[in-house]
Amino acid sequence: MAYWPHWLVVVVVAPLVGAVLAPVVGRGRPKVVALWALAAMGVTSLAALNLIVRVAEDGPFSYDMGGWEPPVGIELRFDEFGASVGIICLLGMLALLFSYRYAEHTLPTERVPYYYSLMLLNLTGLIGFVVTGDLFNLFVFMEILSLSGYALVAVSGERIAEMAAFKYLVMGAVSSLLVLFSIGVLYSVTGSLNMADVAARLGDWGARSPAMLALAGLSLGFMVKAAIFPVHIWLPDAHAIAPSPVSAILSGLVVKVGVLGMLRVYQIFYAAETLDLTGLNTLLVWLGAISIVMGAFFAIFQEDVKMMLAYSTISNVGYIMMGLGLASSYGLIGATVHVFNHALIKATLFLSAGAMIYRTGYRTLHDLRGVGKAMPITTIALSIGAISIVGIPPTAGFLCKWYIALGAFQADQPFFGVALVFGALFIFVYYIRMVNAFYFQPATHPEIAEVSEAPLSMLVPVIILATLCLVMGILGRIPLSFIEPAVTRMLAPLGG
Amino acid sequence: MEVVDIRPMLAPLISFVCAGLVFATGRAAFWRRFWSLAAAVAKLAVVMSMLPGALRGTVYVFKLVDFTPGVGLGFRADALGMFFAVVSSTLWIFTTIYAIGYMEREHSRMRFFGFFALCVSTTVGIAFAENLLTLFLFYETLTICTYPLVIHEETPEAFKAGRKYLTYTLIGGAFVLIGTVVVYNLTGTLSLAHPGILTSSIDTGTLGLLFVALIAGFGVKAAIMPLHGWLPSAMVAPTPVSALLHAVAVVKAGAFGVLRVIYNVFGVELLRDLPFAHVLAYLAAFTIVTASFIALFQDNIKRRLAYSTISQLSYIVLGAALLTPLAATAAIVHIANQAFAKITMFFVAGAIQRTTGKTCVHELAGIGYRMPYTMAAFTIAALSFIGVPLFAGFVTKWYLSLGALEAGDWWFVVVLIASALLNAAYWLPIVYLAYFKAPPGTTMRVAEARPTLLVPTLICAGYVLLLGTTANVPGMPFSLARAAVQFVFGM
Repeated sequence: MAYWPHWLVVVVVAPLVGAVLAPVVGRGRPKVVALWALAAMGVTSLAALNLIVRVAEDGPFSYDMGGWEPPVGIELRFDEFGASVGIICLLGMLALLFSYRYAEHTLPTERVPYYYSLMLLNLTGLIGFVVTGDLFNLFVFMEILSLSGYALVAVSGERIAEMAAFKYLVMGAVSSLLVLFSIGVLYSVTGSLNMADVAARLGDWGARSPAMLALAGLSLGFMVKAAIFPVHIWLPDAHAIAPSPVSAILSGLVVKVGVLGMLRVYQIFYAAETLDLTGLNTLLVWLGAISIVMGAFFAIFQEDVKMMLAYSTISNVGYIMMGLGLASSYGLIGATVHVFNHALIKATLFLSAGAMIYRTGYRTLHDLRGVGKAMPITTIALSIGAISIVGIPPTAGFLCKWYIALGAFQADQPFFGVALVFGALFIFVYYIRMVNAFYFQPATHPEIAEVSEAPLSMLVPVIILATLCLVMGILGRIPLSFIEPAVTRMLAPLGG
Repeated sequence: MEVVDIRPMLAPLISFVCAGLVFATGRAAFWRRFWSLAAAVAKLAVVMSMLPGALRGTVYVFKLVDFTPGVGLGFRADALGMFFAVVSSTLWIFTTIYAIGYMEREHSRMRFFGFFALCVSTTVGIAFAENLLTLFLFYETLTICTYPLVIHEETPEAFKAGRKYLTYTLIGGAFVLIGTVVVYNLTGTLSLAHPGILTSSIDTGTLGLLFVALIAGFGVKAAIMPLHGWLPSAMVAPTPVSALLHAVAVVKAGAFGVLRVIYNVFGVELLRDLPFAHVLAYLAAFTIVTASFIALFQDNIKRRLAYSTISQLSYIVLGAALLTPLAATAAIVHIANQAFAKITMFFVAGAIQRTTGKTCVHELAGIGYRMPYTMAAFTIAALSFIGVPLFAGFVTKWYLSLGALEAGDWWFVVVLIASALLNAAYWLPIVYLAYFKAPPGTTMRVAEARPTLLVPTLICAGYVLLLGTTANVPGMPFSLARAAVQFVFGM
């Protein structure tokens, strides 16, 4: 066997080791632990890059842990959807770099090493979740990232943060239970935990009711994780109150666990061909449409910048769910492309908002008026993010609107295409408020003009991300070329 | 004959780079002016360098990137696009000079000139868009880039106008996007290189909805009634912006989009068998007359100009909707005729406001004594709108009337005559006031606007005369419009 499949182990183990050792390495030395975390993510990124090149050249492959073959052993699997490891590593690196100054500033010194440890654990969970080939490990990794997520929300130790984390914990625990329960059902029916194997056996067995139960449990569980309306209520507080680099990871990546989970579920059940998924699809499309509108609607009434961004995540998950539910090739492409692009865009927005909060100490639109003159680069980055997320071409956010709308017409459900495009207009409303406040309205606090531009460790991630927001729109073919074969394979059982 | 050439992309790129340079170095007045003027000249040179080729029938094409096969950013300088590009890049030079003079004591000048350049960049992008997606892309970007210009004053009134502007145009943009998606879904192509890409095999209901979506989407910026509400309120912007909005960029982008939809997406052949274009023609006729009526009662000069714009733009829409070659000629040449006449008027309004502080029609008594050259330019533009022979507007009216007769709809000629009378009714009183109604005690001292304001005004007025008297205006050839018409009608 060639050496390179071992990289698949490295991408999971490297951040894990980094996380475990971070408190030891970084005791009382916040700068050192930041570098340590960056180094751990650096190794992970190299491994991930190698894997992505492989999958682009040779297609999906898997790795049997310890040489035990599935279904007995643990299988790590890397397919085109697994290429999202790339974006996880990128955002992880940038968020850690951003934290270099931010964590020290926001957190008590003794907590900083734990903060990095939790960040790395969270990233481990994310990567593991994407590359695992069996359902039980899917659950394990999901729990790793959820538990570290709860802790990260509460990390500042403020009372309000604890409340938000608790709300997040309750919802998250319920959804995890649902997922675990469904996995149990699938195991009892098929006697296997390996996803490919489950799909095959489910098809042979033809048991409808347990499969239906499992499908319902998994879908609901993942919907909570994805924060789709009406099970979104945990999200705004958690994402707005967490430290900004954490918000970027939570909003950009952790929420996507729900989406990727749904994708995995679809992969299993489409391949099994036992159930008619039309009902679920219809539900997803409707919930997606409602999420777009409701997310925008709630965001309009927010004053807190990060709160707006948090609600905007709900709208964007709505886009993605709609794309999934349309079950047409363009719709799925749009959904998966947006998983990538939204991660980039939302990280841009949260990090630049974080830089503003770091420098000014204010977080409402009213207080932040006039910040555009004081922090020009950060504000431009935030504006690029805003333009991108409302889907103005040629930025990254436009692609999803284009593909999902096309998917709606392709699936002969034009109503949803129209709903998507007009729903997106609502999103304009509050981003325009934001841009107005930062640039055009007179400053509420005159001293805001004295504020200096964000430090380099924050500026670099923000600039990289903003550039990617622009470039990924024009170079939209790159993620597309990855996703298209996977989507075609996934929809093959549908005959389309 | 198609030739791969970078120039169609270069033209929008120049303004784009100029915007970047203005933002980078524009704190200094010298660099701001230098970049703006240099880019304006460079762009006109690039566009003009394509003119001889375009007149020989060469089409310059440049493909940048594809999102999916066949859908992506592409540029293509065909006759129709060239015509629009020539008009807008010529006017950019004059507007820039004027703006430099006009904005001298304003705040946030760097922002103003930067976004100004971006607007012109996107306008030429619209002109040279190779496919509907590229067109949409620039159309939407234009909306965003004009917003900071509309709210330049940063007063509550300006923000209100800005909100209204965005509401209208973004909803329009959403319609265009949906239309584009549907076209792609139906035909698998978005190319604007053919005289029509839709076919009669598609059922009429779908075609009807598609026509409504696309025309409504572009019609917002073309201010077809009842989609015109944003335009009069956007008058709070500084005058060069109004000139840009009403003569060069925004409204013409809308009108141009309507032309593209009728000529290159649907095609004349297909539309002749369908009733939609006829409905559009009625709507345009309604707009022409109604907007003129409203203009009669406006005392604020810029508001009167705004309603006149609404009325004039529908000449273009009407010309396109009549689906005859002569009417199409009228529609295309009116892009230039209206642009030069209207920009002259806005320049005059701005010059009067800057020099005397007057903004209303009733204050203009005797202004002709104070600013004789400015008011002479105004008179030329007014006569052009009325459609007096030897002035640019007459050419439009002549071909439009012929086109209406060609289509067998004689009563559109009545509409045009009514419109001419209405135009006379709201322009000539201003001329009368200016020259013959000097209030007692008016000193006869001439106190003209400063040269940066006056010279562009006079040149634009000169163009109005030229366009009306000869078919061979240098750099604004009638034959280009002819070429476009011949392509569209397959002659």
